[in-house]
Amino acid sequence: MSLDVLFNQFMSGIARGALLFLVASGLSLTFGVLRVLNFAHGSLYMLGAFLSYSIWKHLLIPVVGFYVATIIAALLIAAIGLVIELFLLRRLYSRGWPEQLLATYAVVLIITDAVKWGWGGEFLSIPRPKPFTGAVLLFDFPFPSYNFFIILLGLGLVVFLWWLVYRTRLGDIIRAAAHDREMVSALGIPIPWLFTWIFVLGSLIAGLSGAVSAPYGAIALGMDIDIIIECFAVVVIGGMGSLPGTLLGSFIVGQVYAFGIMIKPELALANIFIVMAVVLIIRPWGIFGKPER
Amino acid sequence: MKRLAILTILLLVVAVTATAQTQSGPAVPIKIGAICDFAGPCFMYCEASMEGLRIAVEEINAAGGILGRKLEVATRDTEMKVDVAVRELKDLILREKVNFLIGPCSSGTGLAMQVVHSEYKTLRISAIANTEGMTVDKFSPYFVQVVPNTYMEATANTRYLHKKYPKAKKFCTIGPDYEFGRREEAAFEEEIKRLVPDAEILYQAWPKPGEKDFTSFITAIMAKKPDAVHGSLFGGDLVAFTKQAAPYGFFEKFPFIALYDLPVLMSLGVDAPDGVMGFGRGCFFMDPNPKMMAFAEKFKTVKGAYPDAWAVQTYDAVYLLKAGIEKAKTVETDAVVKALEGLSIEGLRGKFFIRPLDHMGSVPCYQGVIAKDPAYPFKVWKEISRIPGEEVMRPEAGVREIWQKTGVVR
Repeated sequence: MSLDVLFNQFMSGIARGALLFLVASGLSLTFGVLRVLNFAHGSLYMLGAFLSYSIWKHLLIPVVGFYVATIIAALLIAAIGLVIELFLLRRLYSRGWPEQLLATYAVVLIITDAVKWGWGGEFLSIPRPKPFTGAVLLFDFPFPSYNFFIILLGLGLVVFLWWLVYRTRLGDIIRAAAHDREMVSALGIPIPWLFTWIFVLGSLIAGLSGAVSAPYGAIALGMDIDIIIECFAVVVIGGMGSLPGTLLGSFIVGQVYAFGIMIKPELALANIFIVMAVVLIIRPWGIFGKPER
Repeated sequence: MKRLAILTILLLVVAVTATAQTQSGPAVPIKIGAICDFAGPCFMYCEASMEGLRIAVEEINAAGGILGRKLEVATRDTEMKVDVAVRELKDLILREKVNFLIGPCSSGTGLAMQVVHSEYKTLRISAIANTEGMTVDKFSPYFVQVVPNTYMEATANTRYLHKKYPKAKKFCTIGPDYEFGRREEAAFEEEIKRLVPDAEILYQAWPKPGEKDFTSFITAIMAKKPDAVHGSLFGGDLVAFTKQAAPYGFFEKFPFIALYDLPVLMSLGVDAPDGVMGFGRGCFFMDPNPKMMAFAEKFKTVKGAYPDAWAVQTYDAVYLLKAGIEKAKTVETDAVVKALEGLSIEGLRGKFFIRPLDHMGSVPCYQGVIAKDPAYPFKVWKEISRIPGEEVMRPEAGVREIWQKTGVVR
């Protein structure tokens, strides 16, 4: 097998990992601070994709239309996240995991039906926006430039989240709250509001990633469950609530999948979950995660 | 007192059953149970299918019904889950007491239902789901197929591919990893080895249904440098694949065929790759005969959009049922099944008949090349080929051979 073939396969894995990271980072952030496993994260991603399509279709602005639609869709999803947090999640923090999971699963069903009702279950598509329509040559082999856009966006998000969590006062509070919520509350910091804004930020990331995934593939029912399951694999491998963990988890899942496809395509998907199972056995809290206290 | 109560109930039961019996005269409608998978990728197919059904039923009722009896429809959703499908199916048969069944979309729920309605001796016509498993491997006399099955469809499109690229010897395949994709690619392999004895399958990609990122599959196929690629991707998966493969120059490098039907072409819009081969099951641009075009116009006025094959097939299914009942002169299942065997009708896709041996309809398969057409706001096909079902149906001897393995006695 020649080197360029391996390189291309590696790059395809990076592209897959980048999209996964975009989605999983929001899921992981929410979990890290709120300790709520948001099953509906994938649904917000799906809704973001459908909304961006409708806005894009409505705007009909050449060139920048897609980018404007993406920003509006992400903001709308953030607003929906706000409503979900204020009216549902806020009441569930003190309850156990099963109730939280059931509640967020209820949101999954509600959003699925809302999408069916609003868009009729058709699969839709947005053409790739300029200037990312073509491909760039990497060692004489084409690599789609939109994939670069997603990778850059993923890297941008890493830098932003890193800056937010490790370089701002809000980040200090976030980390402190993740560590010991009662102590932070005792210091006079309004935990409920912190939680609300973290959930809104998580939702914004979900909406954004849904919108940018639209020109990449198809916008269709079922894309929510599809992505959330892979995101779970990512955060379990990397460590729940850990930013570097999510990054590494996305990278591992992307590569395991890409090379699995090349070597034994039938087992490509199973490989990911084998890796996940191995991590769960050796380090149940994930590679970069911390054991639950 | 208690005895009186029991007596009253008994009397009531007798009275109700008596009226039920006297009701079975000509005024009682013929009830069709429409069962479909209103979820995931099947949702829109089922929606279109039900509209085709509704149009056919309305036409028939406006013309006086069948044997003087109106048609009535009870619709059920399987949620694309096998357990729900079986539950809803039983409800249609036992509580709604439907006379006939039409549906579903998924080969998975279809196969599961087949066992149940066959037990209750209720006839089902499939208008979307097309696995050969339903007509061949698990044959049931209470099942009739009006969609080209996976074997016919893949055999036909393999011939088209071979005709266009007779020199191609090395192939890769890409199909969704479930019943439908597996069967299509198996049939492709069978047929291409008949046409090109030294054909080689270099690599087979099996993305899961609903895959969002085909990049790694695309690079893996390209690394093998095949002469042509056979695909059985469809729907949203094909949309995603096409958009992701285009920047790689995939379509310029390799001849490719897949299920580029109306919804995919509409969704892709300008991204639909000119010159790439598609196959489909028959809609207005594939078979623009007057009957088909009249149906398309009718559908368009109701739904505001062009109908795809799903609506066409379901429409044909209802008319097939009508012809069967009229020939049998009764709605009694066994008589209708008998009447359908060998029956031929003029459907929207032209004339087809039901093969008595396995109840497979000799429905045509369509292929073409994606191209612009100023008449439509989306891309359609040119160089269209219509392969009649008779030419690509599995020979009866072949069917019997499989039956020997699966234990079907007929």
